[in-house]
Amino acid sequence: MKKILFTTLLVLAILFIVGALSFGSFYAYWNTASPDRTCASCHEISSSVKSFSGSSHQKMHCKECHGTALSNGLHSLKEKGMMVVNHIREERVEDIRMNESQVLNVMENCVRCHASEYANWKSGGHSATYKDIFLDVTHNQTEQLNFDCLRCHGMFFEGTTADVVEPINTQGPWKLKDPKKAGQPAIPCLACHQVHADGAIAQAPDYSKPASIFYQRTDSVSKVSFYDRHEKEHIRSEMLPKLKLFEGEYQVPVSEDPLMRNCTQCHAPNGWHQAGTSDDRTPRGVHQGLSCTSCHEPHSNNARNSCVKCHPAISNCKLDVTTMNTTYANPKSPNNIHWVSCKDCHKNQKSKIGNEK
Amino acid sequence: MERNKLSRRHFIQMSAFGVGSLLLFPQCSPQLRKSSWRFFSVEEAFLMDTIVEQIIPTDEWMGARDAGVTNFIDKQLVGPYVRFQEKYRNGLSAIQSSCHILFRKPFEELSWDEQTGFLKMMETGKLSQTLESRDPSQKGEKIWENNFDRSFFNLVCDHTMQGFYGSPRHGGNKDYVSYRMIGLDYPFTIGQNRYKS
Repeated sequence: MKKILFTTLLVLAILFIVGALSFGSFYAYWNTASPDRTCASCHEISSSVKSFSGSSHQKMHCKECHGTALSNGLHSLKEKGMMVVNHIREERVEDIRMNESQVLNVMENCVRCHASEYANWKSGGHSATYKDIFLDVTHNQTEQLNFDCLRCHGMFFEGTTADVVEPINTQGPWKLKDPKKAGQPAIPCLACHQVHADGAIAQAPDYSKPASIFYQRTDSVSKVSFYDRHEKEHIRSEMLPKLKLFEGEYQVPVSEDPLMRNCTQCHAPNGWHQAGTSDDRTPRGVHQGLSCTSCHEPHSNNARNSCVKCHPAISNCKLDVTTMNTTYANPKSPNNIHWVSCKDCHKNQKSKIGNEK
Repeated sequence: MERNKLSRRHFIQMSAFGVGSLLLFPQCSPQLRKSSWRFFSVEEAFLMDTIVEQIIPTDEWMGARDAGVTNFIDKQLVGPYVRFQEKYRNGLSAIQSSCHILFRKPFEELSWDEQTGFLKMMETGKLSQTLESRDPSQKGEKIWENNFDRSFFNLVCDHTMQGFYGSPRHGGNKDYVSYRMIGLDYPFTIGQNRYKS
């Protein structure tokens, strides 16, 4: 009897060791081999691996951003298991998308390398959380929450605005349906960045061709993409439409900067594209033709000290531009820095800029 | 809450599927796949590329081939358009048979004008009136029965339009080329009301 028990235990132990070694080896291989040989084996993921291989992140391994099959515990295993089940059942899943929690997990990994950008983002308005956006009493009382809020805030959320916050009216009081979302960022890194977008790895310049170092330098495609919630995909900023803006019938010249097209997707005028309506802050007046990024830092959105980038210490008016009566110096000034014009101060003089007469 | 719980049976089922499938991973290797397409063979996809490029040719904007229309049709044929699979298989085969009879070469090797002429014959239904199979076992049988040339051309033409002008999420209209071509700003640029307007 004892012998049978011993043999059984021995066989079980051997099986366990063999199993653990096999699984361990397979797991180690899976997490270190080229994605072409591992992740891309799944047809559903191959297109993502293909796009990734042409990106500026191509030298990294999938797991560095997406984690491993075990990094999220049973949840990951269940997800991978269901992929296999769906595959065997021939339930075709063409484009695998990350859900919001996975997007936020990836974001935590962005921070490991892009700490400075993260710190800047954290200090700016785009780090607003679900609580900041959806429980803003002043805003909710003035403009009713609606389906389109999620286009620019909480764009990765799977559901509608009514699934985020209740009640949908202007009376309130408002509360988040899932209190855990309160501290989650509503505009994460992937709202404006596509990690798999085409891009070259930064390289040292060719010193044998001095011109290519500076004025003949060609940059790769932009690093900014807009996440379009309806299409559930990123659109590179240079592929986004350039804003057409009007003051009455006059078409305001708008910067050609592709980065600005990302900004104007959310900071946009009304449906008639009339300047200054809705959330439009396109530079006009003396700043006509400038891009948002001419003054605002890309991650913190900080525009302090931006004047000195273009203006001499003393302007043509013999005045320090930073002290002029604009919202730059005083937020309560009637002269908004985004569209202040010469005429705002020089009321009786003719102007040749923009639509000023 | 109870509904989200993973049942023991479900867990064992998934684990068995998962472990079993690991053994099959080598079969998923891209090198072992017969075609990188979902429904089309490599040859069929090449032929489709040539046909759709005739329907929407490249000019200062990319044409249907580069806009991924073949990818769109291939994707739909294993999804909502599964009912058209047989028509595509028979239609593409009939095109090649017809080209071999008329020109002694496949459609892709015809000159641009010959390709256009051939598709015009399809569109007007002339092929089904004239062409008979040269296969001795099918002697006298028509390659295109009951105006199939015309209906197949119309089908491909419709699907080409859908792929080129539809949303890129369905597999065509690469980089929103058709939207940009017709001057349709997408995504629409429109802000929130922001109280005043």
